[in-house]
Amino acid sequence: MTNKVKDKAGRVPAADPFGTADFERIFHPRRIVVAGVSSEGFSYGGALLKSLQAMGFEGEILPVNPRGGTFSGLPVFPSVEEIPGSVDFAVIAVAAKAVPAVLEVCRLKGAAGAEIMSSGFSETGTPEGKALENEIREIAARGIRVIGPNCFGIYCPRSGLTYLPNPDLPRESGPVAFLSQSGGMASDFANAGKWMGLRFSKTVSYGNGADLREAELLRYFREDGETGVIALYIEGVGDGDAFFRELRAAARKKPVVVLKGGLSEAGGRSVASHTASMGGSGRIWRSILRQAGAVQVEDMTEMAEACLAFSLLPKRAVRGISVTGGGGALGIAACDAAESMGIAVPPLGDGVRKEVLALLPRSGASAANPIDVANPYTPPETLKRILGIAAREDGIDLQIMVFLLHHFKHIALTEGKPIAEVVPCAAFADSMADVVRETGKPVCIVLPNTKRGIEDLDIVALHARARQAFLERGLPVFDEIRNALRAVGHMNRYYGGKEGNP
Amino acid sequence: MSGNGAAEIVEKALREGRRTLSEHESKQVLARYGIPVTRERLVERRQDVPKAAGEIGYPLVMKGCSAGIAHKTERGLIHVDLRNAGEAVEAYDAILAGMNGEPGGVLVQEMVRGRRELVMGMTRDPQFGPCVMFGLGGIFTEILHDVCFRRAPLERGDALSMMGEIRGRGILDAARGMEAADRDRLADMLVRVGRIGLDLDAVAEIDLNPVILAGKNPVVVDALVILDVPRRKL
Repeated sequence: MTNKVKDKAGRVPAADPFGTADFERIFHPRRIVVAGVSSEGFSYGGALLKSLQAMGFEGEILPVNPRGGTFSGLPVFPSVEEIPGSVDFAVIAVAAKAVPAVLEVCRLKGAAGAEIMSSGFSETGTPEGKALENEIREIAARGIRVIGPNCFGIYCPRSGLTYLPNPDLPRESGPVAFLSQSGGMASDFANAGKWMGLRFSKTVSYGNGADLREAELLRYFREDGETGVIALYIEGVGDGDAFFRELRAAARKKPVVVLKGGLSEAGGRSVASHTASMGGSGRIWRSILRQAGAVQVEDMTEMAEACLAFSLLPKRAVRGISVTGGGGALGIAACDAAESMGIAVPPLGDGVRKEVLALLPRSGASAANPIDVANPYTPPETLKRILGIAAREDGIDLQIMVFLLHHFKHIALTEGKPIAEVVPCAAFADSMADVVRETGKPVCIVLPNTKRGIEDLDIVALHARARQAFLERGLPVFDEIRNALRAVGHMNRYYGGKEGNP
Repeated sequence: MSGNGAAEIVEKALREGRRTLSEHESKQVLARYGIPVTRERLVERRQDVPKAAGEIGYPLVMKGCSAGIAHKTERGLIHVDLRNAGEAVEAYDAILAGMNGEPGGVLVQEMVRGRRELVMGMTRDPQFGPCVMFGLGGIFTEILHDVCFRRAPLERGDALSMMGEIRGRGILDAARGMEAADRDRLADMLVRVGRIGLDLDAVAEIDLNPVILAGKNPVVVDALVILDVPRRKL
């Protein structure tokens, strides 16, 4: 990078480093080759083909195996050459040595791209592996864009393309794009997102990144109208300069949430100055990500929660919040967490406070903000009125509603009914959706559950159903107040930073 | 920000087979990039001390200056608050004795008064190229590690945001009778440090420590430029 000729400003000239790609045919192929299916025992190609079928992929699936025959109800072609007509995309899961030949034929068949799931390339560190990956790169340069090798491929809800072992990901699209160097992380994030309420536009596990990788994909997703927030898991990058430029450009247009693997300091560098000794890779990485305007997260859960907030909440910073729920300790915890994120929990004005207080029980309740309803069975209609009144406070931009659903176990036991029958999930969710619609201020739902043991599986199930009820109405759900506020904190840094007041 | 003549200073040192610039050479490079450094004279003869000291003005600081010298403080090669020609000459003799015949001279330097010490620097990241550092300086640099980095070239906003990122950012505000630091000037210096990294490939690392706030004005009081240390990919 430093060897390239620089312009007067010291930058490498901005010649476009990327090739052209027909992403429409890559993400939404109509005819797709699956090379490497085997009817004897497990094969990655076979597993992926069955996953595509389970997902309801509408295009034409063209399995390939030298032995021919049929696989999962489809005729198997002995070779890619023998497939009539042209193809759009290919899934390649043959032995590493056979990959270049298959890829070349796919190119000649007109495929816009291919995902290579096979491993045995540069990740092995062997000269043979590296040479094979170079061959792939050369073929790619002749006009077929490659995802991988050593990857899980693409998951695209709209087309039904899916990662390797995932036959049951949602077909519903949403605003989140995900790029992941790691196939495991790609799969985990898609699955976590499924129950946490994330919906994806397009996602790519790019593995070794022999051809398409983070910088070019960032540029694509920056311009992709379907994508509103980009999430990225990286361990290293191919070209630091291109990565930085594309990350910064993307983050100026939409939030980019980055989980960087491997931030521990690399020791043993030979350096002579204090500056260099403190400029280990972890510290530099954090600084670079901040400089580019990316949202930095520390683990997958935090990444998912940040994406959820960016997906479902209004695109602006939050100055102050109200917190409503039961129990003084929860309220205090909310205030502590809010303060550490720089979010205000303003006391309600006298008029508003009196109106709220009139709706609460005489003893044990507080309408100061946090609002302690002092009764976990407060009816949905009352909660709706409380939040409707609190929303009139100017300093409140967002409301947090904490439901302690496990308390309903007591009512279930008393009435001799299953807990699912005594908790009005739908009514709770409707009431909160009404608040958002009527006040124009967003509501975050927090569903803490302290009863997660084997004897409380009914409560665990209840929480899953409640979460779904809120998510179906567009309300983001978090496990704990702190998690919700952390996600809001990320929004504040992103939108606040853009407006120039951090 | 032309840096005219800076490359020549670096090339001369490389021709001499050196891996570092002396403090004085380092500051000359900085000065050529418009970075404020202490006023100073390099003196190589005892009889030149009074004249140089008079030009700089008392009280002053004198330091042993050689490309080979690190840890000047530990070796007793820094004498501060010298108030007249007699003290200056005495300091010259003591420093020369402490240098044990190493080549170089003695720096006669203005004494910058200020209680707030900052650090700036430049290092080369294998992936991202020249990166500029900013943080708390002096002894706190190594104790607190309260620093942050930006990749060069720095935009003005990048440099200003560094001042909000360190934990000790309050040190830049007005407090206890001290003026608020000139953030525009600090930002300008950080942008220029990055420029050196982009312009001069042979400069591997830079330490500016301390950068003292004299009132609101930052001045580089000590500087070290490391040349082309062989680097391996992480």
